[in-house]
Amino acid sequence: MGKLKETFLNPILKGNPITVLVLGICSALAVTVELKGACVMALSVIVVTGVSSLIASLLRNTIPNRVRIIIQLVIVAMMVILVDQFLKAFAFAIDKQLSVYIGLIITNCIVMGRIEAFALGNKPIPSLVDGLANGLGYGLILIAVAFFRELFGSGTLFGVPVLSALGYTNNGLVILPPMALIILGLIIWAQRSVQKDLQEK
Amino acid sequence: MNTNNNTYTVIYTTVICVLVAAILAFVSQTLKPRQEANEKAETISQILTAAQFADKAELQKMGNAAIIQLFNDNIDGKAEVVSVSELKALNYKLKAGENVPVPTYRFKNGVKVIPIYGAGLWGPVWGYIAVDDADGVRIVGAYFDHESETPGLGGKIKDDPAFRAQFKGEVIDAGNPAKPFDIVKGGSPAGNTEDSKVDAITGATMTSKGLDAAMDVWLGAYVKSLNHGGTK
Repeated sequence: MGKLKETFLNPILKGNPITVLVLGICSALAVTVELKGACVMALSVIVVTGVSSLIASLLRNTIPNRVRIIIQLVIVAMMVILVDQFLKAFAFAIDKQLSVYIGLIITNCIVMGRIEAFALGNKPIPSLVDGLANGLGYGLILIAVAFFRELFGSGTLFGVPVLSALGYTNNGLVILPPMALIILGLIIWAQRSVQKDLQEK
Repeated sequence: MNTNNNTYTVIYTTVICVLVAAILAFVSQTLKPRQEANEKAETISQILTAAQFADKAELQKMGNAAIIQLFNDNIDGKAEVVSVSELKALNYKLKAGENVPVPTYRFKNGVKVIPIYGAGLWGPVWGYIAVDDADGVRIVGAYFDHESETPGLGGKIKDDPAFRAQFKGEVIDAGNPAKPFDIVKGGSPAGNTEDSKVDAITGATMTSKGLDAAMDVWLGAYVKSLNHGGTK
Protein backbone atom coordinates (compact mmCIF):
# COMPACT_ATOMS: atom_id res chain seq x y z
CA MET A 1 0.00 0.00 0.00
CA GLY A 2 2.81 2.37 0.89
CA LYS A 3 4.37 1.78 -2.48
CA LEU A 4 1.13 2.47 -4.35
CA LYS A 5 0.78 5.72 -2.46
CA GLU A 6 4.26 6.74 -3.51
CA THR A 7 3.54 5.75 -7.11
CA PHE A 8 0.55 8.05 -6.91
CA LEU A 9 2.18 11.03 -5.17
CA ASN A 10 5.53 11.04 -6.94
CA PRO A 11 4.27 12.21 -10.38
CA ILE A 12 2.28 14.98 -8.76
CA LEU A 13 5.10 16.48 -6.70
CA LYS A 14 8.69 15.27 -7.04
CA GLY A 15 8.43 13.72 -10.50
CA ASN A 16 5.85 16.04 -12.04
CA PRO A 17 5.80 15.38 -15.79
CA ILE A 18 5.74 19.08 -16.70
CA THR A 19 7.83 20.85 -14.09
CA VAL A 20 10.42 18.16 -13.41
CA LEU A 21 10.50 15.86 -16.44
CA VAL A 22 9.58 18.80 -18.74
CA LEU A 23 7.31 16.68 -20.95
CA GLY A 24 4.09 17.77 -22.61
CA ILE A 25 5.12 21.42 -22.83
CA CYS A 26 3.55 22.04 -26.26
CA SER A 27 0.01 21.29 -25.19
CA ALA A 28 0.59 23.14 -21.92
CA LEU A 29 1.21 26.25 -24.03
CA ALA A 30 -1.73 25.67 -26.32
CA VAL A 31 -4.69 24.94 -24.06
CA THR A 32 -3.98 27.19 -21.09
CA VAL A 33 -5.59 30.39 -22.34
CA GLU A 34 -8.87 29.51 -20.63
CA LEU A 35 -9.56 27.52 -17.47
CA LYS A 36 -12.51 25.54 -18.82
CA GLY A 37 -10.56 24.12 -21.74
CA ALA A 38 -7.62 23.35 -19.47
CA CYS A 39 -9.87 21.38 -17.09
CA VAL A 40 -11.43 19.21 -19.81
CA MET A 41 -8.01 18.69 -21.38
CA ALA A 42 -6.64 17.64 -17.99
CA LEU A 43 -9.49 15.14 -17.53
CA SER A 44 -9.01 13.69 -21.02
CA VAL A 45 -5.28 13.26 -20.47
CA ILE A 46 -5.90 11.57 -17.10
CA VAL A 47 -8.23 9.05 -18.77
CA VAL A 48 -5.87 8.43 -21.69
CA THR A 49 -2.69 8.01 -19.60
CA GLY A 50 -4.45 5.83 -17.02
CA VAL A 51 -6.20 3.43 -19.39
CA SER A 52 -3.32 3.22 -21.92
CA SER A 53 -0.89 2.38 -19.11
CA LEU A 54 -3.31 -0.28 -17.85
CA ILE A 55 -3.71 -1.90 -21.29
CA ALA A 56 0.01 -1.75 -22.02
CA SER A 57 0.77 -3.32 -18.66
CA LEU A 58 -1.71 -6.15 -19.25
CA LEU A 59 -0.04 -6.90 -22.58
CA ARG A 60 3.52 -6.28 -21.35
CA ASN A 61 4.69 -9.91 -21.41
CA THR A 62 3.39 -10.55 -24.92
CA ILE A 63 4.60 -7.41 -26.72
CA PRO A 64 7.56 -8.16 -29.05
CA ASN A 65 10.41 -5.94 -27.89
CA ARG A 66 11.37 -4.73 -31.36
CA VAL A 67 7.95 -3.27 -32.18
CA ARG A 68 6.95 -2.16 -28.71
CA ILE A 69 6.88 1.56 -29.58
CA ILE A 70 4.51 0.86 -32.47
CA ILE A 71 2.23 -1.22 -30.26
CA GLN A 72 2.24 1.55 -27.62
CA LEU A 73 1.37 4.08 -30.28
CA VAL A 74 -1.56 1.95 -31.48
CA ILE A 75 -2.90 1.66 -27.92
CA VAL A 76 -2.56 5.38 -27.21
CA ALA A 77 -4.06 6.38 -30.57
CA MET A 78 -7.02 4.08 -29.95
CA MET A 79 -7.66 5.61 -26.53
CA VAL A 80 -7.45 9.16 -27.85
CA ILE A 81 -9.85 8.45 -30.71
CA LEU A 82 -12.25 6.77 -28.29
CA VAL A 83 -12.19 9.80 -25.97
CA ASP A 84 -12.76 12.10 -28.93
CA GLN A 85 -15.64 9.98 -30.28
CA PHE A 86 -17.35 9.81 -26.89
CA LEU A 87 -16.98 13.55 -26.34
CA LYS A 88 -18.47 14.17 -29.80
CA ALA A 89 -21.47 11.99 -28.99
CA PHE A 90 -22.12 12.94 -25.39
CA ALA A 91 -20.40 16.27 -24.71
CA PHE A 92 -20.53 17.92 -28.11
CA ALA A 93 -20.07 21.50 -26.89
CA ILE A 94 -16.92 20.70 -24.93
CA ASP A 95 -15.47 18.70 -27.79
CA LYS A 96 -16.02 21.65 -30.09
CA GLN A 97 -14.27 23.95 -27.66
CA LEU A 98 -11.15 21.77 -27.40
CA SER A 99 -11.26 20.96 -31.10
CA VAL A 100 -7.88 19.81 -32.35
CA TYR A 101 -6.13 19.46 -28.98
CA ILE A 102 -7.91 16.24 -28.04
CA GLY A 103 -6.43 14.55 -31.10
CA LEU A 104 -3.04 15.98 -30.19
CA ILE A 105 -2.98 14.06 -26.89
CA ILE A 106 -1.44 11.29 -29.02
CA THR A 107 1.67 13.41 -29.43
CA ASN A 108 1.86 14.17 -25.72
CA CYS A 109 5.17 12.71 -24.59
CA ILE A 110 3.82 11.91 -21.12
CA VAL A 111 1.52 9.15 -22.34
CA MET A 112 4.10 7.18 -24.31
CA GLY A 113 6.82 8.10 -21.82
CA ARG A 114 4.99 6.54 -18.87
CA ILE A 115 4.13 3.37 -20.82
CA GLU A 116 7.74 2.95 -21.88
CA ALA A 117 9.24 3.83 -18.49
CA PHE A 118 6.71 2.29 -16.11
CA ALA A 119 3.83 0.22 -17.51
CA LEU A 120 6.01 -2.19 -19.49
CA GLY A 121 7.84 -3.24 -16.32
CA ASN A 122 5.09 -3.19 -13.70
CA LYS A 123 1.85 -4.95 -12.81
CA PRO A 124 -1.48 -3.53 -14.10
CA ILE A 125 -2.73 -1.87 -10.88
CA PRO A 126 0.45 0.14 -10.14
CA SER A 127 0.58 1.04 -13.86
CA LEU A 128 -2.99 2.33 -13.78
CA VAL A 129 -2.17 4.39 -10.67
CA ASP A 130 1.01 5.70 -12.27
CA GLY A 131 -0.85 6.68 -15.44
CA LEU A 132 -3.65 8.42 -13.59
CA ALA A 133 -1.22 10.25 -11.30
CA ASN A 134 0.90 11.48 -14.20
CA GLY A 135 -2.22 12.75 -15.93
CA LEU A 136 -3.18 14.46 -12.69
CA GLY A 137 0.28 16.00 -12.25
CA TYR A 138 0.06 17.32 -15.81
CA GLY A 139 -3.49 18.56 -15.27
CA LEU A 140 -2.70 20.45 -12.07
CA ILE A 141 0.08 22.44 -13.73
CA LEU A 142 -2.17 23.05 -16.73
CA ILE A 143 -4.90 24.43 -14.51
CA ALA A 144 -2.43 26.56 -12.52
CA VAL A 145 -1.03 28.12 -15.70
CA ALA A 146 -4.53 28.60 -17.15
CA PHE A 147 -5.62 30.30 -13.92
CA PHE A 148 -2.98 33.04 -14.27
CA ARG A 149 -3.38 33.37 -18.02
CA GLU A 150 -7.14 33.72 -17.98
CA LEU A 151 -7.07 36.01 -14.93
CA PHE A 152 -4.49 38.45 -16.28
CA GLY A 153 -5.10 37.94 -20.00
CA SER A 154 -8.87 38.17 -20.13
CA GLY A 155 -9.67 39.36 -16.59
CA THR A 156 -12.02 36.40 -16.11
CA LEU A 157 -12.10 32.99 -14.38
CA PHE A 158 -14.20 30.26 -16.06
CA GLY A 159 -15.58 33.09 -18.21
CA VAL A 160 -16.86 35.02 -15.17
CA PRO A 161 -15.49 38.58 -15.03
CA VAL A 162 -13.20 38.99 -12.00
CA LEU A 163 -10.44 41.52 -12.66
CA SER A 164 -12.22 43.05 -15.64
CA ALA A 165 -15.11 43.89 -13.32
CA LEU A 166 -12.64 45.98 -11.29
CA GLY A 167 -11.58 48.03 -14.29
CA TYR A 168 -8.48 45.98 -15.12
CA THR A 169 -7.10 46.39 -18.63
CA ASN A 170 -6.41 43.01 -20.20
CA ASN A 171 -2.78 42.18 -20.82
CA GLY A 172 -2.55 40.86 -24.38
CA LEU A 173 0.90 39.33 -23.80
CA VAL A 174 -0.48 36.90 -21.23
CA ILE A 175 -2.77 35.38 -23.88
CA LEU A 176 0.13 34.72 -26.26
CA PRO A 177 2.05 31.42 -25.98
CA PRO A 178 5.37 32.93 -24.74
CA MET A 179 3.71 33.97 -21.49
CA ALA A 180 2.77 30.34 -20.81
CA LEU A 181 6.46 29.49 -20.93
CA ILE A 182 7.29 32.34 -18.57
CA ILE A 183 4.59 31.30 -16.07
CA LEU A 184 5.75 27.69 -16.37
CA GLY A 185 9.29 28.84 -15.66
CA LEU A 186 8.14 30.72 -12.59
CA ILE A 187 6.30 27.62 -11.33
CA ILE A 188 9.41 25.48 -11.87
CA TRP A 189 11.49 28.10 -10.05
CA ALA A 190 9.07 28.16 -7.12
CA GLN A 191 8.98 24.36 -6.93
CA ARG A 192 12.76 24.02 -6.99
CA SER A 193 13.32 26.62 -4.32
CA VAL A 194 10.97 24.69 -2.02
CA GLN A 195 12.13 21.16 -2.94
CA LYS A 196 15.87 21.77 -2.77
CA ASP A 197 16.79 18.18 -3.75
CA LEU A 198 15.52 18.89 -7.27
CA GLN A 199 18.27 21.44 -7.89
CA GLU A 200 21.12 20.21 -10.04
CA LYS A 201 24.57 20.55 -8.49
CA MET B 1 7.89 -18.00 -25.21
CA ASN B 2 10.24 -16.24 -27.61
CA THR B 3 8.51 -12.97 -28.37
CA ASN B 4 11.33 -11.77 -30.58
CA ASN B 5 11.12 -14.05 -33.60
CA ASN B 6 9.87 -12.60 -36.85
CA THR B 7 6.76 -14.71 -37.31
CA TYR B 8 5.51 -13.90 -33.83
CA THR B 9 6.20 -10.19 -34.29
CA VAL B 10 4.33 -10.00 -37.60
CA ILE B 11 1.35 -12.00 -36.35
CA TYR B 12 1.19 -10.08 -33.08
CA THR B 13 1.27 -6.68 -34.79
CA THR B 14 -1.37 -7.75 -37.30
CA VAL B 15 -3.70 -9.08 -34.63
CA ILE B 16 -3.36 -5.92 -32.49
CA CYS B 17 -3.98 -3.63 -35.46
CA VAL B 18 -7.02 -5.57 -36.68
CA LEU B 19 -8.40 -5.73 -33.15
CA VAL B 20 -7.99 -2.00 -32.56
CA ALA B 21 -9.45 -1.21 -35.98
CA ALA B 22 -12.47 -3.39 -35.20
CA ILE B 23 -13.01 -1.67 -31.83
CA LEU B 24 -12.76 1.78 -33.39
CA ALA B 25 -15.04 0.88 -36.30
CA PHE B 26 -17.62 -0.55 -33.93
CA VAL B 27 -17.58 2.49 -31.62
CA SER B 28 -17.66 4.88 -34.55
CA GLN B 29 -20.66 3.11 -36.11
CA THR B 30 -22.50 2.93 -32.80
CA LEU B 31 -21.99 6.59 -31.96
CA LYS B 32 -22.40 7.98 -35.47
CA PRO B 33 -26.18 8.66 -35.38
CA ARG B 34 -25.74 10.55 -32.12
CA GLN B 35 -22.80 12.54 -33.46
CA GLU B 36 -24.60 13.43 -36.68
CA ALA B 37 -27.71 14.48 -34.77
CA ASN B 38 -25.50 16.65 -32.55
CA GLU B 39 -23.85 18.23 -35.57
CA LYS B 40 -27.15 18.98 -37.29
CA ALA B 41 -28.61 20.47 -34.10
CA GLU B 42 -25.43 22.52 -33.71
CA THR B 43 -25.77 23.94 -37.23
CA ILE B 44 -29.45 24.73 -36.67
CA SER B 45 -28.76 26.38 -33.32
CA GLN B 46 -26.11 28.57 -34.98
CA ILE B 47 -28.61 29.61 -37.66
CA LEU B 48 -31.26 30.35 -35.02
CA THR B 49 -28.78 32.37 -32.97
CA ALA B 50 -27.81 34.43 -36.01
CA ALA B 51 -31.48 35.06 -36.80
CA GLN B 52 -32.03 36.20 -33.17
CA PHE B 53 -34.63 33.58 -32.29
CA ALA B 54 -32.68 32.54 -29.22
CA ASP B 55 -29.22 32.71 -27.76
CA LYS B 56 -26.71 29.94 -28.40
CA ALA B 57 -26.28 29.17 -24.70
CA GLU B 58 -30.06 28.93 -24.18
CA LEU B 59 -30.42 26.64 -27.19
CA GLN B 60 -27.70 24.36 -25.87
CA LYS B 61 -29.71 23.79 -22.71
CA MET B 62 -32.91 23.04 -24.68
CA GLY B 63 -31.61 19.85 -26.27
CA ASN B 64 -31.60 18.68 -29.87
CA ALA B 65 -35.33 17.94 -30.29
CA ALA B 66 -36.42 21.37 -29.06
CA ILE B 67 -33.89 23.10 -31.32
CA ILE B 68 -35.20 21.32 -34.42
CA GLN B 69 -38.78 22.07 -33.33
CA LEU B 70 -38.03 25.80 -33.02
CA PHE B 71 -36.40 25.79 -36.45
CA ASN B 72 -39.32 23.99 -38.13
CA ASP B 73 -41.85 26.31 -36.47
CA ASN B 74 -40.23 29.43 -37.85
CA ILE B 75 -38.81 28.44 -41.21
CA ASP B 76 -40.77 29.53 -44.28
CA GLY B 77 -41.63 26.39 -46.23
CA LYS B 78 -39.14 23.58 -46.08
CA ALA B 79 -35.40 23.98 -45.82
CA GLU B 80 -32.65 21.44 -46.13
CA VAL B 81 -29.94 22.05 -43.55
CA VAL B 82 -26.65 22.43 -45.40
CA SER B 83 -23.80 20.85 -43.43
CA VAL B 84 -20.42 22.49 -42.93
CA SER B 85 -18.70 20.01 -45.26
CA GLU B 86 -21.21 20.88 -47.98
CA LEU B 87 -20.40 24.56 -47.43
CA LYS B 88 -16.77 23.70 -48.05
CA ALA B 89 -17.59 22.18 -51.43
CA LEU B 90 -19.70 25.20 -52.33
CA ASN B 91 -16.91 27.55 -51.26
CA TYR B 92 -14.57 26.09 -53.91
CA LYS B 93 -17.17 26.71 -56.60
CA LEU B 94 -17.90 30.26 -55.43
CA LYS B 95 -14.23 31.16 -55.28
CA ALA B 96 -13.70 29.74 -58.76
CA GLY B 97 -16.31 32.23 -59.93
CA GLU B 98 -18.95 29.62 -60.72
CA ASN B 99 -22.49 30.90 -60.65
CA VAL B 100 -23.96 28.65 -57.95
CA PRO B 101 -26.89 29.72 -55.79
CA VAL B 102 -25.97 30.55 -52.19
CA PRO B 103 -28.08 28.48 -49.78
CA THR B 104 -30.51 30.78 -48.00
CA TYR B 105 -32.74 29.98 -45.05
CA ARG B 106 -35.94 32.05 -45.24
CA PHE B 107 -37.83 32.56 -42.03
CA LYS B 108 -41.51 33.50 -41.72
CA ASN B 109 -40.65 36.89 -40.18
CA GLY B 110 -38.79 37.96 -43.33
CA VAL B 111 -35.29 37.29 -42.03
CA LYS B 112 -32.96 35.40 -44.33
CA VAL B 113 -29.88 33.58 -43.10
CA ILE B 114 -26.87 33.21 -45.40
CA PRO B 115 -23.98 30.90 -44.54
CA ILE B 116 -20.39 31.97 -45.06
CA TYR B 117 -17.29 29.78 -45.22
CA GLY B 118 -13.58 30.47 -45.59
CA ALA B 119 -10.07 29.84 -44.32
CA GLY B 120 -8.94 31.11 -40.92
CA LEU B 121 -5.42 30.75 -39.55
CA TRP B 122 -5.33 27.04 -38.61
CA GLY B 123 -8.42 25.72 -40.30
CA PRO B 124 -11.78 26.65 -41.74
CA VAL B 125 -13.98 29.38 -40.30
CA TRP B 126 -17.68 29.61 -41.08
CA GLY B 127 -20.75 31.39 -39.88
CA TYR B 128 -24.29 32.52 -40.48
CA ILE B 129 -25.34 36.06 -41.32
CA ALA B 130 -29.01 36.94 -40.82
CA VAL B 131 -30.17 39.79 -43.04
CA ASP B 132 -33.33 41.76 -43.67
CA ASP B 133 -33.93 43.13 -47.18
CA ALA B 134 -36.71 45.57 -46.23
CA ASP B 135 -34.50 48.69 -46.10
CA GLY B 136 -31.31 47.98 -48.02
CA VAL B 137 -29.62 44.75 -47.01
CA ARG B 138 -29.16 45.08 -43.28
CA ILE B 139 -27.62 42.55 -40.89
CA VAL B 140 -29.96 41.36 -38.16
CA GLY B 141 -27.45 39.15 -36.40
CA ALA B 142 -24.44 36.92 -36.96
CA TYR B 143 -22.88 33.82 -35.55
CA PHE B 144 -19.42 32.45 -36.33
CA ASP B 145 -17.68 29.18 -35.71
CA HIS B 146 -14.29 27.70 -36.45
CA GLU B 147 -12.51 24.37 -36.42
CA SER B 148 -9.17 25.15 -34.80
CA GLU B 149 -8.55 28.85 -34.24
CA THR B 150 -6.52 29.72 -31.13
CA PRO B 151 -8.75 29.91 -28.04
CA GLY B 152 -8.76 33.45 -26.67
CA LEU B 153 -7.48 34.96 -29.93
CA GLY B 154 -9.01 33.83 -33.22
CA GLY B 155 -11.46 31.77 -31.17
CA LYS B 156 -13.08 35.04 -30.15
CA ILE B 157 -15.04 35.12 -33.41
CA LYS B 158 -17.16 32.50 -31.70
CA ASP B 159 -16.61 33.06 -27.99
CA ASP B 160 -16.75 36.84 -27.72
CA PRO B 161 -20.38 38.07 -27.76
CA ALA B 162 -19.11 41.65 -28.21
CA PHE B 163 -17.55 40.75 -31.57
CA ARG B 164 -20.82 39.28 -32.82
CA ALA B 165 -22.88 42.17 -31.45
CA GLN B 166 -21.00 44.66 -33.65
CA PHE B 167 -22.66 43.19 -36.74
CA LYS B 168 -26.20 43.95 -35.59
CA GLY B 169 -27.79 46.71 -37.65
CA GLU B 170 -24.83 47.10 -40.02
CA VAL B 171 -25.79 47.66 -43.63
CA ILE B 172 -24.29 45.48 -46.38
CA ASP B 173 -23.01 47.41 -49.38
CA ALA B 174 -25.23 45.73 -51.98
CA GLY B 175 -23.88 47.94 -54.75
CA ASN B 176 -20.38 46.51 -54.34
CA PRO B 177 -20.45 42.70 -54.68
CA ALA B 178 -16.63 42.54 -54.65
CA LYS B 179 -16.42 44.10 -51.18
CA PRO B 180 -19.86 44.14 -49.58
CA PHE B 181 -18.54 44.15 -46.01
CA ASP B 182 -15.33 44.93 -44.13
CA ILE B 183 -13.80 43.52 -40.96
CA VAL B 184 -10.88 45.88 -40.36
CA LYS B 185 -8.61 47.30 -37.72
CA GLY B 186 -10.24 50.30 -36.15
CA GLY B 187 -13.66 49.31 -37.43
CA SER B 188 -16.13 52.16 -37.40
CA PRO B 189 -17.13 54.75 -34.83
CA ALA B 190 -19.63 53.33 -32.38
CA GLY B 191 -23.16 53.60 -33.65
CA ASN B 192 -22.20 54.08 -37.29
CA THR B 193 -24.12 51.30 -38.99
CA GLU B 194 -24.01 52.78 -42.49
CA ASP B 195 -20.34 52.18 -43.38
CA SER B 196 -20.45 48.34 -43.70
CA LYS B 197 -17.48 48.03 -41.34
CA VAL B 198 -16.82 46.33 -38.03
CA ASP B 199 -13.71 46.11 -35.86
CA ALA B 200 -11.39 43.12 -36.33
CA ILE B 201 -9.93 41.16 -33.40
CA THR B 202 -6.63 42.31 -31.90
CA GLY B 203 -4.01 39.57 -32.01
CA ALA B 204 -6.00 37.53 -34.52
CA THR B 205 -5.16 39.24 -37.78
CA MET B 206 -5.19 36.11 -39.93
CA THR B 207 -8.51 34.87 -38.53
CA SER B 208 -10.08 38.30 -39.01
CA LYS B 209 -8.80 38.52 -42.58
CA GLY B 210 -10.06 35.01 -43.33
CA LEU B 211 -13.48 35.88 -42.01
CA ASP B 212 -13.43 39.13 -43.99
CA ALA B 213 -12.63 37.22 -47.19
CA ALA B 214 -15.36 34.66 -46.47
CA MET B 215 -17.90 37.48 -45.99
CA ASP B 216 -16.86 39.01 -49.31
CA VAL B 217 -17.19 35.75 -51.25
CA TRP B 218 -20.51 34.60 -49.83
CA LEU B 219 -22.30 37.90 -49.21
CA GLY B 220 -20.94 39.10 -52.56
CA ALA B 221 -22.59 36.15 -54.28
CA TYR B 222 -25.78 36.84 -52.35
CA VAL B 223 -26.05 40.53 -53.25
CA LYS B 224 -25.17 39.68 -56.84
CA SER B 225 -28.11 37.30 -56.96
CA LEU B 226 -30.30 40.11 -55.55
CA ASN B 227 -29.13 42.56 -58.19
CA HIS B 228 -29.70 40.04 -60.99
CA GLY B 229 -33.14 39.20 -59.66
CA GLY B 230 -33.89 42.91 -59.91
CA THR B 231 -36.38 42.82 -57.05
CA LYS B 232 -34.45 45.04 -54.67
